Amino acid sequence: MKKLLQSLFILLFVATSAMAQERTITGTVTSKEDKLPIPGVSVKVKGTKSGTVTGSNGKYSVQVPAGATELEFTYLGFERLSKAIGGSTVDVVLSPDSKVLTEVVVTALGIKRQASSLGYATQIVKGDEVAQKSDPNLLNTLQGKVTGVNITSSSGAPGSSTNINIRGVTSFNGNNQPLIVVDGIIFNNGVDNTQNTLFGSQPSGRLSDVDPESIATINVLKGPAASVLYGSRASAGVIVITTKDGSGMKGKTEVTFSSSLNLQNASYLPKFQNEYGQGTQNNFVENSTNSWGPKFGTMPTVTTSYAGVVPYQAYPNNIKDFYKQGSILQNSLNIAGGDKDKNFVVNLGSTLQSGIIDHSKYQRHNVQVGGNTKLRNGIKLGGTITYVKSFTKNTIAGNGGSAFGQISRIPRSYDLSGAPYKNDLGNSIYFLPGQNHPKWSLENEYLDNRIDRVFGNTSISYDIADWINVGYRITADVYQDDKNAINRLGAARNPGGLLGESGILRGEYNGDLLINMKKNNVFTDGLNASLLLGQNINQRTLRASEVVAEGLVIPGFDNVSNGTVFTNSSATREMRRLVGHYAQLSLDYKSYLFMELSGRADMSSTLPTNKNTYFYPSVAVSFVPTEVFNIKSDVLSYLKIRGNVARVGRDADPYLLNSVYVKSSYGNNTASINFPMSIGGNSIPGFGASTRIGSPDLGPEFVTSYEGGFNIGLLKSRVSVDFTYFDTRSTNQIFNVAVSNSSGYDTRTTNIGEMRNRGIELQLNATPVRSSDFSWDVSMNFTRIRNKVLSIDEGVDNAPIAGNAFVGINPSIKVGYPYGVIISTANARTPNGELLVNGLTGAFAPGVPNSVVMSPQKDYTLGISNRFTYKGLTLSALFDINKGGQIYSFGQTDMRGGGQIEMTAKDRDQPRILPGVIANGDGTYRKNNIQVSAQTYWAGLGGLASEGAVFDATSYRLREVGLAYSLPAKLLTKTPFGQVSLGFSARNLWLFAPGFPQDPETNSSGAGNIQGVDFNGMPSTKNYGFNLKVTF
Amino acid sequence: MKYIRVNKILSFCAIAALALSTSSCKKFLDVNDTPNNPLAIPPNVALPGAIVGSAFANNNELNRFGSVLIDVTSGAAGSPLRWDRYNTDGDDFGNQWRFEIYDGALVNYKKIIESEGKYQSPVYSGISKIMMAYTFGMTTDCWGDIPYSDALKGNGATQPKLDTQKDIYLGAAGIQSLFDLVKDGMKDLDKKGLLIPKTDDVVYGGDIVKWKKAGNTLLLKLALQISLVEPAKAKAIIDEVLASADSYIKSNSENLEVKFGASVGSRSPVYEYTRISSFRTDQLISTRFLTKLQSTNDPRLTAFITKPGANYVTVDNGFAGTVPGFDTRSQFGNYVTGINGEGPVRLVSNWQRAFILAEAVLRLGTAGDAQALYTEGITASMQSAGVSGTDITAFLTANPTIATLSGTNEAKIKQIIDQKYISLVGNGFEQWTDWRRTGYPDLPAHQNAVGIDGTRPVRLQYITQEIQRNPNFKTGILPNVKVWWDVN
Repeated sequence: MKKLLQSLFILLFVATSAMAQERTITGTVTSKEDKLPIPGVSVKVKGTKSGTVTGSNGKYSVQVPAGATELEFTYLGFERLSKAIGGSTVDVVLSPDSKVLTEVVVTALGIKRQASSLGYATQIVKGDEVAQKSDPNLLNTLQGKVTGVNITSSSGAPGSSTNINIRGVTSFNGNNQPLIVVDGIIFNNGVDNTQNTLFGSQPSGRLSDVDPESIATINVLKGPAASVLYGSRASAGVIVITTKDGSGMKGKTEVTFSSSLNLQNASYLPKFQNEYGQGTQNNFVENSTNSWGPKFGTMPTVTTSYAGVVPYQAYPNNIKDFYKQGSILQNSLNIAGGDKDKNFVVNLGSTLQSGIIDHSKYQRHNVQVGGNTKLRNGIKLGGTITYVKSFTKNTIAGNGGSAFGQISRIPRSYDLSGAPYKNDLGNSIYFLPGQNHPKWSLENEYLDNRIDRVFGNTSISYDIADWINVGYRITADVYQDDKNAINRLGAARNPGGLLGESGILRGEYNGDLLINMKKNNVFTDGLNASLLLGQNINQRTLRASEVVAEGLVIPGFDNVSNGTVFTNSSATREMRRLVGHYAQLSLDYKSYLFMELSGRADMSSTLPTNKNTYFYPSVAVSFVPTEVFNIKSDVLSYLKIRGNVARVGRDADPYLLNSVYVKSSYGNNTASINFPMSIGGNSIPGFGASTRIGSPDLGPEFVTSYEGGFNIGLLKSRVSVDFTYFDTRSTNQIFNVAVSNSSGYDTRTTNIGEMRNRGIELQLNATPVRSSDFSWDVSMNFTRIRNKVLSIDEGVDNAPIAGNAFVGINPSIKVGYPYGVIISTANARTPNGELLVNGLTGAFAPGVPNSVVMSPQKDYTLGISNRFTYKGLTLSALFDINKGGQIYSFGQTDMRGGGQIEMTAKDRDQPRILPGVIANGDGTYRKNNIQVSAQTYWAGLGGLASEGAVFDATSYRLREVGLAYSLPAKLLTKTPFGQVSLGFSARNLWLFAPGFPQDPETNSSGAGNIQGVDFNGMPSTKNYGFNLKVTF
Repeated sequence: MKYIRVNKILSFCAIAALALSTSSCKKFLDVNDTPNNPLAIPPNVALPGAIVGSAFANNNELNRFGSVLIDVTSGAAGSPLRWDRYNTDGDDFGNQWRFEIYDGALVNYKKIIESEGKYQSPVYSGISKIMMAYTFGMTTDCWGDIPYSDALKGNGATQPKLDTQKDIYLGAAGIQSLFDLVKDGMKDLDKKGLLIPKTDDVVYGGDIVKWKKAGNTLLLKLALQISLVEPAKAKAIIDEVLASADSYIKSNSENLEVKFGASVGSRSPVYEYTRISSFRTDQLISTRFLTKLQSTNDPRLTAFITKPGANYVTVDNGFAGTVPGFDTRSQFGNYVTGINGEGPVRLVSNWQRAFILAEAVLRLGTAGDAQALYTEGITASMQSAGVSGTDITAFLTANPTIATLSGTNEAKIKQIIDQKYISLVGNGFEQWTDWRRTGYPDLPAHQNAVGIDGTRPVRLQYITQEIQRNPNFKTGILPNVKVWWDVN
């Protein structure tokens, strides 16, 4: 590799010095748009090999042979221009090129490329497509707008994390969230869960620290070919976010103020029955979570031990009234000024959200200052720094002892909102012993987290010559995440109370050396080359400590000093480092044939010292036939064909090489022990072998990708199509393979397995109508991804995915199935697939454990946006379809088996027959004809750990609606305003989910590798509000 | 001029990059030693975790299960309600198998034994071998054939083969019998070492004499377990123990019991799951057990069972109606749970030893007076429950049919097991295991029983997840299939 680079250098030098010279022409190249000089424009003497590029002031000087008559000027994003050589000065003005293919795209490491040169798919989302969309979470506002991307918000809880996967899940065990880069800063988008995800609260994901209002563009680099330069962590794709700056201000200073107020309501709650109340088998039972009691009207009151005599009647809105209206107030101020060389920006933002349940909120305040300058000696300096402060407070959720664990078990005759929920001592009053009233839980069981985050970059670069630039950039992203878990005395899961006070300090630091070289007409006329050499030094650190106070003494006192037992307290430190070297050679032949060769070698601290270096290459090619053959017409505006092969390696997490010992603990929520134990006044220590076997010879894992596609512009580019097919193979996966527990361990870390993702991405943009006053734009994003686990390990057919799981409900990998299927108990079936019924009871026959019962994989996703503009009025709507995929829901299973939902009241007094057949014992079957009660029937469809808890997650949704009006400029001439626009926006206005009684877009596990589970989480919301944007 | 500068800068970059990519780079990247976990631990830190693991396995889910199944408690909700209908499957006890037995207790006993040379800690090895035998014994008694000789090898055998229960008890080529494992441990106790257990021994506080007695008593328990299938071997073992200079547990203060604490995270499982956790509403005392004690005016009643109001409130096993509210129910008394969760968890007790020897006299013809041993068992149990000598005498006088063994040997054994059953309250595993072996006490079927075929489970089904991970496990062995020593 080094040798190759050397010879390339030599060739570049030779090309520079081998020019024949006869006379000198000088001139300046400026832009038609802003009249500013354009540096880096290629100036070529037509018919010869000689040429040059303009300097930083747009000036050039070129030696031309005597016979030369014309100079040709080319520059990315501008139309090619030929000009006759008149005198010794030739000044030209270049016009911006409006054609899509010459659009300049910011790719990996901030490198600007002409769109036509890219041999891979990227997709750009502009700032205004994510700003003012009634949702403060950036990822949520990207939903339906990008192909190849799967985004799932986890719940309507304020600040809750959102999962994003680009081109499917590529790692069995690693982080499958894409790398986020904000202004060149590697940006942590982690979710630091300090609680069990089955029983915890939804902490916020760290990308939510980016204010959507501050964003200029988002570029999604989907495949490894696009992201290879980012190295190890880019195998899950990269999202490059560029915030607003002053570089486009053309010398002015502009102040933009935007404000929005949105209201939020819990939405798509199931339809409940209001005919039958609490109890079982038609009897009232005061501590039953079922609504299989007597029909209303049969008895006026019932006597309860917790509230005395209460009316026995339906409370139709008992669940609905549990929720309140939430609100989101967002304000932001952006001040930007300067020009291309010297500019500054200040962004201020504030978001105040109050959630749909009591005591839940999200707040974010951010301030960003940045600027760039160019010194007189030509050195460019730049930097930006952002401070974000955010606060999230959410109740804990999950099965059983939480507000949301209870909310799916509220009998129809229980006055949830009206009945007193606590006594004078502040203790919960509830119908179910051992559990708490959900309102009590909201007040007394929650998690808040406070983030203080600073991220920024500083860079220096210098054009050593007009063809070479050297730069260094340092970025840092540091945040302190303080979490407070509050479980006051009496909390169902911690009756003695528990306070968890944790501080997590994460830091990531990067140093990048970048050497850019560029030369036109190398080897042969029309072949332009650029070479990038880089080095990356990366360090990631974590310092976390948590004080867990249990055995609380003073009611309502939330300081850890209130505890008597602190054995669950802990401290964790982590450090990982990586040094990468990379090179990228880009070749452009006459702007119709492009090739890009990249390679990166990483050395990682997390791999064994003697084998910690790994190399991975990529090659991407694109060809634009419309530029070569004369096939351009009014119908076919352009055509580009592209393809690439790429590989990205990924290192391990730290500290996986050794088997270690851990502090001993036993039990779960039935009973538990934590060392050190306090026995008879002695503190007894206890450590034991960790359940994981380390791997001293661990290697990196790889993702290899093959991608092909084309772009077509039709009807004078009124219609454009972008199609991509990809096939990625993930191999050598670093995974904790499950081992037989009788080996003394639970897992062993090793490199195993293979997984495949294949997919189609189709993007269609069209402007069906375009007139001076009215235009109609349509854009469609279609994604279909097929993931399949091809192999795991010798003799291992499946393995659970790392994370918290209920016994018998395991999110898993299984050979032949998509990633993340849930292995649980399936209904017993005949060889023909008919459900098998027990001939004695009429209930389903005992289920088959260890069966795949659920797959979260979607058939396809489709987003369709329409945008109508009439003069200053713009109406936009985003409709999306998530077809297929399944959801595993505790809540729905509870409500169906508990007789709460509407369909369970229909003909309740009539006996029913479960679908299926009964074995005759001789290999034949008869249709089930055993009548059972409605309660047996609905409960018999399946309990929590069964196939009956699985539902189809298909949804059709009106995701976004926006109406904006920009005041006509002439109205504003006498005001200080440059632009004023007013708007209305809404999210989730309409939903149709045929297979699920609620909104199937939910995931109680939050962002991460476990998807499609609804283990008693919060419902989603419908948001709508008004916004205002003013510029000065 | 220009090119010189370029070259200068380039060579600087090259040097910088080179410098990093050689020796300093190696150092820069050498940060992968975990600061969060030890890579080795001394036996005195490992032992408490392991022993508590054994006790936790016995006292938590197995006890919840055993007590319901054996009519001491009734299920009101959740798993105990299923078990009360005889329903159990491979999803039950996964945590016990996984985190408590194999990956909690057993693997760490093994680690302690392996580190004997490094820490010069033979006494720890001795204790570990005895406790390992106890724990493997409990495991095979529940599941039958299990990984034993091939288990706990980590990477060496990630899918261990299974040994038959017979080979585990009796030994075979390459398989050390449970008896030899205990004896090996007792030998280690005599060896001199540098590291000696003190408070970290949560059973005897480092009293080696008592550990030897415990080892011998465990041999008695294991021998009786196989007395129906291998009477000669059982007799030989018991004879050996009776002749042993090391003696066996002879007083209540010598019980092999694990003490717990009174604070959160230190309390005994049975206290947690009956008094504290949200699962406390899952069970209550069975009417059958209450009636059994009340019918004889057993003076242990108040120690064994709580009386929340004026009366004891219980329901029958398999009861399908509305279960009384939690605050009004009778639960395990402080004898079982400790006042604030201190336990203890009684793994092998003095009265249990007395009943074992009494049965052995009748069944195997070992030395001793069955009646005297039987009375000793009753007395020791009552003393342990805080019953005064006068009250014990009064009870025996008032219940002559209990006090005196009579009838055939089988009838006498029935009497013995009946009292043993009462005395083992709070150890559902032992009660269930005695019932499986002897068929005593007489337990009428539960109401609304379902199970596999309506019969009370006689084994635990292999863990679903473990079958999935280890093809050596046979599938389809349901809870109605008897284990090897269960022949009646």
